[in-house]
Amino acid sequence: MVKVENVTLEKKYHDAVEHWVLHNFKDYPSLLKNWNTYFPTDEQFCLCAKMELGTPDVIQIGEHKGEKKRENPDEMTPEEAHHLLAIIRAQASTEFGSIQQHNGTLERAFDDQDRYWVLRVMAEELRHGYQMLHLLLSKDWSHVSGGVTGPQMVEEILSMQTGNHVLDAFNLDYDSFIDNITFAALIDRVGKYQLTMQKVCAYKPMADSMPQMLREEAFHLAAGVVPLRRWAQKAAHGDPFVTMQAIQRAINKWFPRGLEMFGDERGGDTNVKFGFKDMKNREAQDMYIEEVRRMIRDINTRFLRARFPEYDATKAEAVLDELEATRGVHRGVKFEDLLRLPDRRFFRRKGEPAFQMVGLDGETFADAEEYLRYLAKHLNEGYVASRDVLNYAAALRKVAAGELSAAEAAKSMPKLKRVGGTCPCSKGVRWVMEDAAGAQTAAPARAG
Amino acid sequence: MPDVQSPPRVRPLDELDLGAITRIDERISGIYRPEVWEKRVTYYLRRDPETSQVVEVDGKVVGFMLGEVREGEFGLEAPSGWIERFGIDPDHRGRDLGKLMFDAMRQRFVAQGATAVRTLVDSSTPGVAGFLRALGFASSPLEALEMKL
Repeated sequence: MVKVENVTLEKKYHDAVEHWVLHNFKDYPSLLKNWNTYFPTDEQFCLCAKMELGTPDVIQIGEHKGEKKRENPDEMTPEEAHHLLAIIRAQASTEFGSIQQHNGTLERAFDDQDRYWVLRVMAEELRHGYQMLHLLLSKDWSHVSGGVTGPQMVEEILSMQTGNHVLDAFNLDYDSFIDNITFAALIDRVGKYQLTMQKVCAYKPMADSMPQMLREEAFHLAAGVVPLRRWAQKAAHGDPFVTMQAIQRAINKWFPRGLEMFGDERGGDTNVKFGFKDMKNREAQDMYIEEVRRMIRDINTRFLRARFPEYDATKAEAVLDELEATRGVHRGVKFEDLLRLPDRRFFRRKGEPAFQMVGLDGETFADAEEYLRYLAKHLNEGYVASRDVLNYAAALRKVAAGELSAAEAAKSMPKLKRVGGTCPCSKGVRWVMEDAAGAQTAAPARAG
Repeated sequence: MPDVQSPPRVRPLDELDLGAITRIDERISGIYRPEVWEKRVTYYLRRDPETSQVVEVDGKVVGFMLGEVREGEFGLEAPSGWIERFGIDPDHRGRDLGKLMFDAMRQRFVAQGATAVRTLVDSSTPGVAGFLRALGFASSPLEALEMKL
């Protein structure tokens, strides 16, 4: 029988998470209060870690294949434990980070159902972050954490804000509710891949954490794809406020960051060797790309069937094939009116194609200013006016001028850092921009 | 000419199967109703994403079966597996694809402690009832009653 054991953190850490919720997830009480309205007969939400019981005891991949899975960090080599600790910390950061992102534009949801679906996604990401804190606190990692204690790691993670999370995708503010939905469709999809790969993890508590997280992630993907399908229908009917162009710009913003979450295309060997994941980076990324291609085709088909209700499925798909092949027009619908999958090298700042100047369709640019103008046309205005794009442009110009290599530029993108307090309650706090060398410059104040 | 199709593949449902499910339903019912399936598929994905199944032939989804384990309804305290909706593309019938999906769901039901599998059948669709009886379903002491409002 499938069994899951619920685990609660020691009170002071559970309370720390609930305190974090007060500052970063103010609608959490509203979700709990209205749960039965929007999710009738669904199991009530539990802020707890959930450990799957009955998972395999034996390592299934890597150089320790066939050995018993590790139950404690000190059963791994220091190199393995240090590597896994970084994965857990990054995972924790993404969970809390995504809540902060969703929170910024949640109130702009088009309707209550969309809003409560996102609230549920946020709550489950909170639970996933809580799950990772359990992994950090339930065992002693001090021999590989450089002296940083479990409580200190928790404090560090809970003090992170948009701008200084571990992965780039979680440092971008949302510009509209379209970002909430597109993020769920594209970035949670990467999460699904990571969690799936980690199901085999040689460290059993991590492996045991994955199944329930994956079950919850399934709804997150639907919470992205289903609204996108509905919006495609609205766009097909000429809704002035919901357009395929707006959705495409959101895809252009998030797809490159999603690809980079897999790590460098040439890497991933260590994770497989250590038995932490069962696929290398490029293989996983390739599968993700095909899945996103399938998703985009599905949404385009929904659009065409809404625009031409007299067409059956076969006819709509034939029209889609025709438009993709000819890039022409069909009864007033242009190829550009549909969504398309950006080239995997488009707008990249990490990995194999970092800082290559490649357009959506794979066309290349020789001039940085021309490429930046191209990007400005294909990203939404709010994002184009952001610090992230400004920093990218500065780095790109240096790469184009030969002042930096792409690898140096990839490391040089500055991050925001909070100094002078870990809790948003702290009064004496300021934000600085910190570059890869550790140099700091003052940044404009951010709202707590 | 020998049948060169690859063996069918049964797997859990995901959100990208919506288009195929809508299409199969349209072929069976003649009605295009994507909103209905968006609602039902999301319901199962948020409650139990591993139990509902689809079947692929040569990489294309040609059948689906939706269901879950429930307990405590209508005096049935023990967990029961419920088959709610299913459909096979008419071009792919007669290959035991429904049985393959049912077998996968049955395993999931057992893993979750179910002691029985239940469903409701519309008497105007004798083919559906015939299929279910061939799987081993039999009439239940529980009777569906209805009153129009």
